[in-house]
Amino acid sequence: MNLAHSARHAAILMLVALVGLAGCSTKVSRIETEEVRDLSGKWNDTDSRLVSEEMIGQMLEGAWVNNHVRRHGNLPTVIVGTVKNLSHEHINVNTFVADIERAVINSGRVEFVASRDERGEIREERMDQDVHATEATRKAMGQETGADYMLTGAINTIVDREGKTAVRYYQVDMNLISMTNNRKVWVGQKKIKKVVEKPGMRL
Amino acid sequence: MDRPLGFARRAGAFLLVLTLGGCATYSATRGAIEADLAAGRYDQALRLLAARPVPERDRVLHLLDKAMIQRLAGDYDASNASFEAAKQLIERLATLSVTETSATFLVNDATAAYVGEPFEQALLHAYAALNYLDLGDHEAARVEALQVDLTLQALAEDDDGALAKDPFARYLAGIIYEMRGEESDALISYRKAYQAYKAHAKLYPIGVPDALKEDLLRLTGRLGLGNEHEKFREAFARANWSDPGRKEGEIVVLLHNGLAPIKRERRTVVVPPRAPQVVSLALPDYEPRFSPVQSARVVVGGREMPLETVENINAIATQTLKARLPAITARALARAVAKFKLTETARREDKAAGLIANVAGLLTERADTRSWLSLPGEIRMARLRLPAGTHRVRLDLLSSGGTVVDTQEFDVTVAQGGKTIHSRHWFSSPSPRRSP
Repeated sequence: MNLAHSARHAAILMLVALVGLAGCSTKVSRIETEEVRDLSGKWNDTDSRLVSEEMIGQMLEGAWVNNHVRRHGNLPTVIVGTVKNLSHEHINVNTFVADIERAVINSGRVEFVASRDERGEIREERMDQDVHATEATRKAMGQETGADYMLTGAINTIVDREGKTAVRYYQVDMNLISMTNNRKVWVGQKKIKKVVEKPGMRL
Repeated sequence: MDRPLGFARRAGAFLLVLTLGGCATYSATRGAIEADLAAGRYDQALRLLAARPVPERDRVLHLLDKAMIQRLAGDYDASNASFEAAKQLIERLATLSVTETSATFLVNDATAAYVGEPFEQALLHAYAALNYLDLGDHEAARVEALQVDLTLQALAEDDDGALAKDPFARYLAGIIYEMRGEESDALISYRKAYQAYKAHAKLYPIGVPDALKEDLLRLTGRLGLGNEHEKFREAFARANWSDPGRKEGEIVVLLHNGLAPIKRERRTVVVPPRAPQVVSLALPDYEPRFSPVQSARVVVGGREMPLETVENINAIATQTLKARLPAITARALARAVAKFKLTETARREDKAAGLIANVAGLLTERADTRSWLSLPGEIRMARLRLPAGTHRVRLDLLSSGGTVVDTQEFDVTVAQGGKTIHSRHWFSSPSPRRSP
């Protein structure tokens, strides 16, 4: 009788365990890219988006575009240089640089030329065309547009921590430097500050 | 009504014995992996590591081991992915766990999640930085240098002792900043490394490396910090020191020698008078792993330079455990008392249950022998100024008697004013490779 009782208990326990296990499959839910989901307090997609939005706004409102058009009579051409990551996190700077590039090109007020990394492949293809493409479709070498300005920048961070609370401060600076005379024609800046509080206990 | 209770208790104790009987201590199951590592069969070692069941509490160690083996295999990207996963896990586990803390009081210390000793956490960033340097990504190495600072700052909050300051991680951070031309950041790290070496020297024999003295003199001189510069000249007895200039380049050769010591379980068994049961106390103890290589020298173009110890992981690990032992012993004693009382209560109700409770108590009393076992036993370094160009470097690994145990040769390319870091790992294999 007792044995049967214990066996029943064991069976119930196992059933409960099984039910618990059944809920272990990965759950994925899609969310809007604008939705803010801060998980660890580290640099994330939201920070990247905030930086690109701010920079795009500042860059297109800057006086440098009109100044250039007035002086030279054509749209300014920009090349993307390096954006240095001087922060304490492994940050992918390509995401917001690509965002900035896209928005600025689409505004129709600024032109971009392929960056140093991108143009290697294009040149290879052009050389290949020289041998293999028909006369009519072949693109000649030495016809590239030289950039008027270079876009450079840096991400810096300051972290202050005390016990379970940390303040993370990010500053992203971007510059447009004239290729002719090294003058800085535009400087953009975005600051982000976050307070991260860790839980005191976990299970 | 006594019977079912007794039966349930016996069954419970039996189940406990069944589940825990197979849990050998962490360090006891390493042999095969290390044999493969020593023989250079890294893929096989990784397969063995992957085949081992990893309880969640040992996951950080598993990732650290995996990262180090991937580094040895030359797969630096994968190694950094593993280090990154370990970092995230350490961060998550750093908060106190309710269930784990109570388990350490009832079962044993090894039931708590392992997050690494201070030196292991600092060296995690150091090795991740070395991976990035080997990949040629100096910017990412700088990120790790900053993380060394954050980690050591956080550790210093809980413990301002010498062992929470890691000299090599600081020194490497300084070298990384200097490689990027950030001399004031470099000097800050060099100063902190200097303080750390001096603090460690109080615990075990280690000197401030000559290369670091050179760095402190050079940077304080270049940054125009007159007073500090004079102070260092005096402290290092280098009255005639002069700046080597920026014409030549520099190579930094790092030798990661041997393997970190391994924790073993030391068990004391006591039979208390008038109580028919056995009480046991299991405590961890470090066992050094002897490396036949006791010194080394670099030879470049007829010039010879000895390598100096920049991190004595053997000593740091031993000292860390020594500092922890009073608390570990106190917990083990508290557990012994609790288990004794439990056994006595069980025995009073049912003799067999008492016996089973005693056996279960003995079997579950295991020492926490976990540590990052694929770390080297020590790191040695030599810094050489060389004219720009390609040079053949020979690294002689010497025994305590000064005979050559092994020789490694590699080419380095030096740029004017540039600095490059070259890491070599070495540990004894069952059949040591002969020097050519």
